[in-house]
Amino acid sequence: MYVSQRTRAILHGTLGLALMLICWEIIGTYKLAGYTWPSLTDVVTFATEPTRLGLFSRAISATIQAVVLGYVIGAAVGFISGAIITLVPAVKTSTDSTAAVINAIPPIALGPLLIVLLGYSAAPVALAALHVFFIIYVATVAGFQSATQTHRDVFQALGASKGTVFYRLFVPAAVPNITTGLRMAAPSAMIGAILGEWFGAPRGLGVLIVSAMQNFQIQLLWSAVLFASILSLSLFAFFGLVERLATEKFKD
Amino acid sequence: MYRSDTCAVPSRSKNTGLSLRGVHKTFHIKGKEVKAVDGIDLDVANGEFIALIGPSGCGKSTLLRMLAALENPTSGTVEIDGRPSAELAKAHRLGVAFQDHALLPWLSIFDNVALPFRIAGRPVDRDRINELLALVGLSEFERARPKQLSGGMRQRTSIARALALQPGVLLLDEPFGALDAVTRRHLNGELQRIWLKDSITTVLVTHSVDEALYLADRIVVMSSRPGRILQVVDVPFGRPRTREMTRSKTFHDICDELTDALRGLDQDTGNTS
Repeated sequence: MYVSQRTRAILHGTLGLALMLICWEIIGTYKLAGYTWPSLTDVVTFATEPTRLGLFSRAISATIQAVVLGYVIGAAVGFISGAIITLVPAVKTSTDSTAAVINAIPPIALGPLLIVLLGYSAAPVALAALHVFFIIYVATVAGFQSATQTHRDVFQALGASKGTVFYRLFVPAAVPNITTGLRMAAPSAMIGAILGEWFGAPRGLGVLIVSAMQNFQIQLLWSAVLFASILSLSLFAFFGLVERLATEKFKD
Repeated sequence: MYRSDTCAVPSRSKNTGLSLRGVHKTFHIKGKEVKAVDGIDLDVANGEFIALIGPSGCGKSTLLRMLAALENPTSGTVEIDGRPSAELAKAHRLGVAFQDHALLPWLSIFDNVALPFRIAGRPVDRDRINELLALVGLSEFERARPKQLSGGMRQRTSIARALALQPGVLLLDEPFGALDAVTRRHLNGELQRIWLKDSITTVLVTHSVDEALYLADRIVVMSSRPGRILQVVDVPFGRPRTREMTRSKTFHDICDELTDALRGLDQDTGNTS
């Protein structure tokens, strides 16, 4: 039953994706949305042209670097903040409101600020990290609270120290929530990095998108967007797998 | 009217296992004071098995939680071997099992039973764990996860975990409350067998008169809120208890009397609330 449901989900997903790509192709071929909508085959031919390999691989690797670095920093800071407020509940209100304020600032407004503070090349990393931070922070705090009262009672009656309760109960109990957060954070890290690159990073997919738009290089623009989506989806799929494995092991 | 008013039963041993003196517990719920436990005095001898029965909300679980150092009494003292129960908990000398088995889903059955060793920071005694798993009949399942086992097997694991460090006191809060009648009866037999091995001082909170009568040396009947001790009944059966005993007239008589007493209490609560 479980397997068939999963297979069906994959089948539906593939079908939806195929349908979307077919629509893209049809709209592009018959120019249903005007001349700024190229067909899928045109975009793929353009993107896979050997002479453009260098251009795209430089941009993609720059974006990947920013995403990975921002993701790791954001996840680490989010986890550590979540852990601190679990161990020292007194700071919860102030940490919560700080995190909420950071999350409330539109990243588009934060971008120029970060460039002034950190420079052009660090802005993509910083924006990616900020996005990831908030998601992981919320997931960690919720995760630590998912240990049941009876679990806590058993640990307390067995004479566990605060530290033991933390790493033998709270951390493992939080794993499913945190991996869900990691999956949700993956596309957000992408958005953050590309947005950061828009403001004038030396290279990256975001740079490519902006310059292609300004120079009306339609196929370049679509190619860059296609690469960004593929990257984002791969990250999402990878962390989806991590989440599934973790949930299987750590949940009832 | 009550069959035995033998509140001052002489202890089987001179050492006092547990001692509750003038214990009161008041909760503050939405600005209202709720008296959960009102003036409990009780001594439990070393190696004695006590069952606490009473209607829902009579404070028997609160009493057990105070023994487990999970709640502090509002006034009065809860002592185990002459020391506050919190000290015993810190010394890893308490064993507890609840209605919710509270096994850790990410650990194997073996590692769940070994948890008290890890909490106490002691090297895991593999022989002890294997012995306990054999005792509760789960040797073949040591690599399994809790979710792969039945409800009864999980409760047995939970009891094995409670026994891991050879605790001074075993505290059981409705450990079989969520199980079907057949499994429950079976596990009552198992618990007696396990208990007879070391005769650890045990307090069992239960709704089941049958279970209390089959397992306990003494049964403490509590009144509905605020919880007070109404009656302490000496169970006249020797050990090991057999299923034949549960079919005897004496067993049924005491059973009926206790059930009537509890039913009366339940009606009282019904009228006042």
